[in-house]
Amino acid sequence: MMTAFLIGLGVMCAMVLLMTLVILVCDATIANYGPVQIVINGDKEVTVEGGRPLLSALKDRQIFIPSACGGRGSCGMCKVRILEGAGDPLATELPWLNAQERRDKVRLSCQVKVKRPLRIEIPPELLDVRQYRTTVLRLRDLTYDIREVTLQLAPGDRIDFKAGQFIQFEVPPYALTDDPVYRAYSVSSSPSTHDRVELEMRLVPNGICTTYVHKYLKEGDAVTINGPYGEFHLQDSDREMICVAGGSGMAPIKSILMRLDELKSPRKVRYFFGARTGRDLFLVDEMRALERSLPDFRFIPALSAPEPGSGWQGETGLIPAVLERHVTSVANAEAYLCGSPGLINATVAALKRKGMPEDRIYFDNFG
Amino acid sequence: MAMKETPQMKSARANMRPGKLSLPGFLGDERDLARLLDEDNEAVKRLGLTHAAVAARMRELRDAGAKGLGEFIAVAPHFDVRVDSVRGRMPCPFGERGLYPKTNVTVRNLATGRDITYTDLHIHLVAAHGFYEGRGTPYRLEPADLAAILEIRPANKEETP
Amino acid sequence: MNGTWHLLTILVTAVFTSNILLTNYLGMCSFLAVSKEVKTSLGLGTAVVFVMAVTCPLNWMINAWVLEPLHLDYLRFIVFIVVIAAFVQVLEMIIERVSETLYANLGIFLPLITVNCAILGAALFMIIRKYTLAESFLYGAGSGLGWALAILAMAGIRQEKVNQSKLPRGLEGPGIALVVAGIMALAFMGFSGMGGGN
Repeated sequence: MMTAFLIGLGVMCAMVLLMTLVILVCDATIANYGPVQIVINGDKEVTVEGGRPLLSALKDRQIFIPSACGGRGSCGMCKVRILEGAGDPLATELPWLNAQERRDKVRLSCQVKVKRPLRIEIPPELLDVRQYRTTVLRLRDLTYDIREVTLQLAPGDRIDFKAGQFIQFEVPPYALTDDPVYRAYSVSSSPSTHDRVELEMRLVPNGICTTYVHKYLKEGDAVTINGPYGEFHLQDSDREMICVAGGSGMAPIKSILMRLDELKSPRKVRYFFGARTGRDLFLVDEMRALERSLPDFRFIPALSAPEPGSGWQGETGLIPAVLERHVTSVANAEAYLCGSPGLINATVAALKRKGMPEDRIYFDNFG
Repeated sequence: MAMKETPQMKSARANMRPGKLSLPGFLGDERDLARLLDEDNEAVKRLGLTHAAVAARMRELRDAGAKGLGEFIAVAPHFDVRVDSVRGRMPCPFGERGLYPKTNVTVRNLATGRDITYTDLHIHLVAAHGFYEGRGTPYRLEPADLAAILEIRPANKEETP
Repeated sequence: MNGTWHLLTILVTAVFTSNILLTNYLGMCSFLAVSKEVKTSLGLGTAVVFVMAVTCPLNWMINAWVLEPLHLDYLRFIVFIVVIAAFVQVLEMIIERVSETLYANLGIFLPLITVNCAILGAALFMIIRKYTLAESFLYGAGSGLGWALAILAMAGIRQEKVNQSKLPRGLEGPGIALVVAGIMALAFMGFSGMGGGN
């Protein structure tokens, strides 16, 4: 009886082991694509591990294609032109590609698995995007819900960006979260300080990132960021500047103002800062200092609901109305707007009514 | 015995866990997503409404309140609506394409004194999936509350058998 | 000549008169779920033919050379399933390599081939009927072809006719699919007059 049982057990184990061996061999051969060459923009060559999605393969080589959904195919941001080496678009990609993109061989890099050598094309600015390991240098509360976070880059490291661009802040798994999460924040420090990055973060109730930053992050902690990203930045011209931003939207504007100050720019600049009450104002002293330092800069805060009895003497009302009152001529002006889609739409409408052409209105849309 | 879950439900439930897409998650104390959808579906039917009608009213109030640019604005007949947004977009936990702006709509019904808050994503979740968030989350949209505060009336019966 | 004729009969019987799906009602879940589209059904059908044509003789060999001599008949079910599972894994890797599109279209139904009862069913039938190795191979291939034929026919009907028609709400989806499957089964019963239907 015992022998029969042992024989049975032995055969069972042998079968399972044999099948496992077969699968392992096949995995190492059929499913193994080995190292694969990718040629980017005709001249940059990288070698990646085959079999993985293009998005993550490139990320391992420090090439960051923008993605909001982390490679699930639900944001459509990771588009890349694949000139050679990929098959037909998958059903998951088709909803994101219009007819022109299909003709141009645009694909979603999170859905394409790298199996054969590829020739791809990506916007050249993305090649400048890098990952940086930083430490928290300082945490400072600017208002009851806006925290200023200053990150120091690793010794010897440097970041090059244009005033107005943003970085992606990596929130590591903490408390209730299991995976890292990325959130975009504009850099509020000047691009000439290459070894640090200053951010303004507004506390959003139940926000994964802002809860982490306001409740868990401490000075000295390590933070991973990548960037710089964004087409919103200071334009090299001598036109007058009309800036509109409230709350944490001040960050890119502050970077732009500091840059102008360093350049000793003679440009006429007006910055309309929209807020609800006096409690939402911050960095007013810094703005006043810039007013003294720059030849023609005015900081114009406007409160939409000033507390009665607070003695507020400045502008009141919503920004588009304040703009109407203050801006007379837009003939030689360009606009920099940072805020919610609602604010931007209303401001753009007000500026267009004054005759400002759309191609001189730059905005950093929260969306 | 739990019904066999489709892969889509399973991944939706995984996405709804706290910390995955939003800090509190979407399910709260619920364990059975399919049952929650059924119960809310029944609740909406009992009110004489459809998910599409509820979502349409949510959208209507959002559009009216958007003019306030982040401040409370009066909306006829007796509402105060505030629409503000933060940077970034959220995907739908059910996994299909699309990113939704993080727009918060707070509707205050001045006649009853009650208020309720929802987002752009919620409008989509109600319209496309009949999903009102789980009980126990800070954003739970109880269909009865929604209907009462937003004053969603049943449409006249149009269907003929 | 008699031998070849006999083998041919087994093949033809497996495809038509003793169709593993329409006569023996095995392998219904992926049949109902995937038969919405002809292209995917063709892919899945081919995969099933492949799996059955290989695992039937393979399982026959393991049964004849390992299990029966050692009196381990009771291990048959488990060992057959292990073999089928391993083989489907390998098939998955092959499909992923060869056609990303097919791999994505089949989705979860590719690993679900493992628990497709038609495959285990065919393996067990061949043991009961005491087929030889050659007969097992033809029986496996034939059953696979029969299953593929059924799913292709169903896909053709659904894609061209059912999806274009307006149906009562209660019958949509699996309802009409089962009605059509029943009618197809009745039609295939007409084949049972052909020699040796079992």
